[in-house]
Amino acid sequence: MTRDQPAVRVAVDVGGTFTDIVVMTANGILHESKVSTTPDDPSRGVVEGLASLLAELGAAPGSVAEVLHGTTVGSNTILQRTGARTGLITTRGFRDVLEIGRIRMPDMFDLTWDKPKPLVPRRHRLEVTERIAADGTVIHPLSETDVTAAAEQLIADGIEAIAICFLNSYRNAAHEKKAEALINARFPDLPVTASYAVLPEMKEYERTSTTVVNAYLLTAMRGYLRKLEGRLAEVGIVAPILVMTSNGGMLAARAARDLPVMVVASGPAGGVIGAAGLGRARGDRDVIVFDMGGTTAKAVIIEDGRPSMTSEYEFRDGMSTSSRFIKAGGYMLKVPAIDIAEVGAGGGSLAGIDAGGLLKVGPESAGAAPGPACYGLGNTRPTVTDANVVLGILNPSALAGGRLTIDRGLAERAIKEHVATPLGLSVEEAAHGIRAVANAAMARAIRAVTVERGRDPRDLTLMAFGGNGGIHSVDVARQLGVRTIIIPPLAGVFSAVGMLAADIEHTALVTVMRLLDDLSAQDLSTIMARLSAEVASRLAADGYGADRTELVWQAELRHEGQATELPVPFDADGDVLAQISERFVEEYLKTYGYRDQTPLELVKVTVTGRGLRESRLDFKAMKIETRTGAARAGYRLVSFSRGVPAVETAIVSRAAIGAAERSGPLIIEEFDATIVVPPDATISRDGMGNLVLKIEGSA
Amino acid sequence: MNVDPITFAVIKSGLDSIADDMAYTVVRIARSEIVKDVMDFSAALCAADGQMVAQAKTIAQHLGAIPEAMQAVLDKYGDDLHDGDVVIMNDPYHGGMHLPDVFMFVPLFFEGKRRAFAVVICHHTDVGGRVPGSNASDSTEIYQEGLRIPPLKLYDRGKLNETLEALIKINVRVPDRVWGDLSAQFAAAQVGKRGLIKLLQRYGADEVEAYMQELLDYAERLTKAEIRQWPKGTYRFTDHIDNDGFSDKPIPICVAITVRDDGTLLVDYTGSSPQVKGALNSTLSFTHSLTYLSVRCVLGRDVPNNVGVFRCIDVKAPEASVLNPVMPGPCAARALTGYRVFDTMLGALAQIVPDRVPAAGEGGNSVICISGLRANRKPFIIVDMICGAWGGRPDKDGLEAVTNASQNLSNMPVEVMEAEHPVRVEEYAFVPDSCGAGHWRGGIGVRRAYRILAPEALLQMRTDRVLFRPYGLAGGEAGGPSRNAMVRNGETRPLPGKITMSVEEDTVIVHDQAGGGGFGDPLTRDAALVLEDIHDGKITPSYARERHGIVLGANGLVDEAGSQSLRRAKTAAARTGAGHGA
Repeated sequence: MTRDQPAVRVAVDVGGTFTDIVVMTANGILHESKVSTTPDDPSRGVVEGLASLLAELGAAPGSVAEVLHGTTVGSNTILQRTGARTGLITTRGFRDVLEIGRIRMPDMFDLTWDKPKPLVPRRHRLEVTERIAADGTVIHPLSETDVTAAAEQLIADGIEAIAICFLNSYRNAAHEKKAEALINARFPDLPVTASYAVLPEMKEYERTSTTVVNAYLLTAMRGYLRKLEGRLAEVGIVAPILVMTSNGGMLAARAARDLPVMVVASGPAGGVIGAAGLGRARGDRDVIVFDMGGTTAKAVIIEDGRPSMTSEYEFRDGMSTSSRFIKAGGYMLKVPAIDIAEVGAGGGSLAGIDAGGLLKVGPESAGAAPGPACYGLGNTRPTVTDANVVLGILNPSALAGGRLTIDRGLAERAIKEHVATPLGLSVEEAAHGIRAVANAAMARAIRAVTVERGRDPRDLTLMAFGGNGGIHSVDVARQLGVRTIIIPPLAGVFSAVGMLAADIEHTALVTVMRLLDDLSAQDLSTIMARLSAEVASRLAADGYGADRTELVWQAELRHEGQATELPVPFDADGDVLAQISERFVEEYLKTYGYRDQTPLELVKVTVTGRGLRESRLDFKAMKIETRTGAARAGYRLVSFSRGVPAVETAIVSRAAIGAAERSGPLIIEEFDATIVVPPDATISRDGMGNLVLKIEGSA
Repeated sequence: MNVDPITFAVIKSGLDSIADDMAYTVVRIARSEIVKDVMDFSAALCAADGQMVAQAKTIAQHLGAIPEAMQAVLDKYGDDLHDGDVVIMNDPYHGGMHLPDVFMFVPLFFEGKRRAFAVVICHHTDVGGRVPGSNASDSTEIYQEGLRIPPLKLYDRGKLNETLEALIKINVRVPDRVWGDLSAQFAAAQVGKRGLIKLLQRYGADEVEAYMQELLDYAERLTKAEIRQWPKGTYRFTDHIDNDGFSDKPIPICVAITVRDDGTLLVDYTGSSPQVKGALNSTLSFTHSLTYLSVRCVLGRDVPNNVGVFRCIDVKAPEASVLNPVMPGPCAARALTGYRVFDTMLGALAQIVPDRVPAAGEGGNSVICISGLRANRKPFIIVDMICGAWGGRPDKDGLEAVTNASQNLSNMPVEVMEAEHPVRVEEYAFVPDSCGAGHWRGGIGVRRAYRILAPEALLQMRTDRVLFRPYGLAGGEAGGPSRNAMVRNGETRPLPGKITMSVEEDTVIVHDQAGGGGFGDPLTRDAALVLEDIHDGKITPSYARERHGIVLGANGLVDEAGSQSLRRAKTAAARTGAGHGA
């Protein structure tokens, strides 16, 4: 594929229910499509959906220049436990580190808790003689015969991938490298991951777990990408595939094959990158991203145009809670990821009453099938969507441009039986209650990324998308005191849109762990030179020379003796030491409300090298082809707040909203999203096609 | 009051998330491993009148002690509490637990009126006294255990009390760490204040206060509703601590739980050991705490963690007993007694709600404290806590490598310990065969072995369940015992459960923690599960044969016929030998 010819760019986001496809044709126009996800082999849905959209647009498959991809292969492989049979080779005396973990439990007082089973059972965790001290010196040399014997035994046991993690290897990786080489020589086709290549950082459990997850995913990711490439080739698409990483970068499929752990949270990242880009284009550099789908709602904070990142997270079956300090519920992945707070509140979340008479919503979900009660597919318990239907907020007869029939009576019955009658409320009051509890849960997710960091949400703009984002955004915003809400075009497929705005990214880091006062400018520039050389060579391998590359630097510091670092971005020019210490002190005061006098320790330096993609989506020049058949203009009664009579409300399309502010009440119905404008809010449309809601009377 | 169910739900989760935010702040900026890695701290919110309304997901054992400590603060200061005040205290005889646990209370004001308290408790690495870590089990008076702090203002209307600061710093071995952790407590309280003020602004201060009270009533209602379902009567159980390290005399903990008609409980510890010479004495506030949390563990999951639960439980512990000591009884190692109260309570509760109670777990985290001077004369103190294994449960195996359920501790990463202290960990692993056999087996215990790299060090061990192993339930067997040993010049010699001693460089100290007790008859355990454990090296074939009557064939699979006949023989033998027990 040459980069010169007019080309079509494709972004595909595979979700649990739908596969969202956005195609940017050579004239820069975006086209959307939504097809059902094919869980048995997601590549089938991707390629069929893509081929049919291309055909509809009359675009030749050969004109596709690149396929940007958000995939749930990583997360689903872990959830369904379908990864490679993985073996672990580790330091003698420490085979149980992976299973011991960090000991804690996610909830107190719960004697019924089940600790997640380790991805590698004990029988496949083998020890070898070797030992490196905390300062990197060799205490016991590596026993090469131990390594070979362990690998042979694991192969004999049917192991399909091997992880290697030795104690203190973050200080000296020589033993891991040697062991890796020995196994590669003996079993050239066996996928092997050593911890130094994934996470050269302190803390043996976190490093072992991350390495094991990577090894566990190797075969699934490689197999999936091979299939996807094959199917794409069959329909004539031979463009390179770029996979969205958990931190919102793009990784060439070639690299994703070896580092699948980087793309486990690939799915939601696209929307966040899109929101950051759109915010920058609009001049909103501080944004709360609010992405509400069918099962969960996610919140991310964007500050100064950059999404907030975390250096570790836990992948788990349930939902992440605001108790981010708990280490217990899932598989620890210590990789850079967008710091997403997720709660089990989506359109399909089930509502009910607990034993104490308290109204609860989620995290249990009715999913896509049978779905909300109003779908009439067999579920009789009320969901958030049912509440919205009962209140008139959602179209009471059909959704998705008429593709989905709705039965308002079923929604009413479910709410009456399970919520209204037990609480002694009317159906309408109960429906408002369900909405309010769901809104409170979503606000909690947003608080986890704002208030918890000492950031006041009132200073931020809320950007809402996902199928349900526009339905709840005003109420959620109001709880947090947010006054402005942006709803981007193509809100229902915005995660795919966002991918079109992402860059190729490679990250490299060095664990420093030295007091800032003991560090010379020369020490630091040596570290930085090493890091930039490393990312430069990886970018060059993807075809990005220095002219199309940008480096972003980050230092992680703490006061001496603390466990957790605060990351601060810095510029490579000038006095870096002074710069990072100043920024840290400022950040620390902002986050914790006091100044600390003790010495600063530089823990890590990270560089992210960006390969700047050609024809990245420019939000300022975004052009869209809307699907018709969504909105049928008219009026219906909508109940916006509890205790206030329902009001006759105009139902319009996005096109009906212009630059002039229009007061609510209004409902905007689109192909895949509904947007609610209550009576005390106003709405307008900006030059890029975003809807801008302003709320009055916010706290 | 007229309770709006929606506002109620929002305020409830609002208070919970404020408490969690406070806890998260502590983890991020505390200095000592025992706080930042082991997570021995807690955070809570109390209403303006001092009643605890929300607790973060931290140390359960601290939960029930807050009311008494809070009361001590109110007794002393009453209305003399102002915006910007910060009160600290640690004295067990003023509502505290043991000296290392320093409580911080920060009254939160809004519109000129006190509306709540933020409470943060941290286990400090050292508070002075006879031994590093201030945590020894072989002190004989509280005066040996460190600096006692009655309720005192560390800040008075925002102004630091420099006298108190100087006094603390000069009395502790690692002032930077202690002050760093106090700063973390302070920062957490500020985070709590910000969160609470937002909530008050949003819903109105009086409204929130009314809902706080309703939250307590709600917890009380839920608790009473459950207890009313329990069979009425009095249920007794006794468990033991091995000894206090001074004598070989076992220390019994006896409980009688009476389920009353009105949905309340009387928990009576009469018969428990008199106050002991060593530091195992648990002050009344801590005894209360363990009692409440034991009951809380068998209640439904939705019950909030607040004073409303406690209202349903009356506790009686005889004065001058190990569960209600008098001055100057030492109490630094009282956590162990607390764990045994938990085990004892669960043993009695198992008779009331048998489908909710597991067999005994490891018996509480072990404390291994290693201190001394580095080669460069700089002092170091490691306070390591080892966890843990749960007993077999009514419907599944016990967990292994897990916090005791009465805590929520984490572990210190080996690499962190080695980077910061002169030790090398030689092993951190499971101890095969240490599980109590049962239809559902107990969790297996863990081993941690430390090589001392300092010229000389002081070792203190507070371990238990060497003699009195974790009990099984419903026919399950006791968990494997705890063991200590030291290895020097290739020679291994056993160490007692509780000891303070000097160790030389290059000595290896090995601690094996007890495994959890089993639940149900081990001879009925699914053979496939037994085989899995053999394959994982968690149990040996001989354990499987002796405990479960499972024999393996030459092909490494279960010998069905051989196992059946062995099981029959063992069942018959058990019948004849009935009364001897396992």
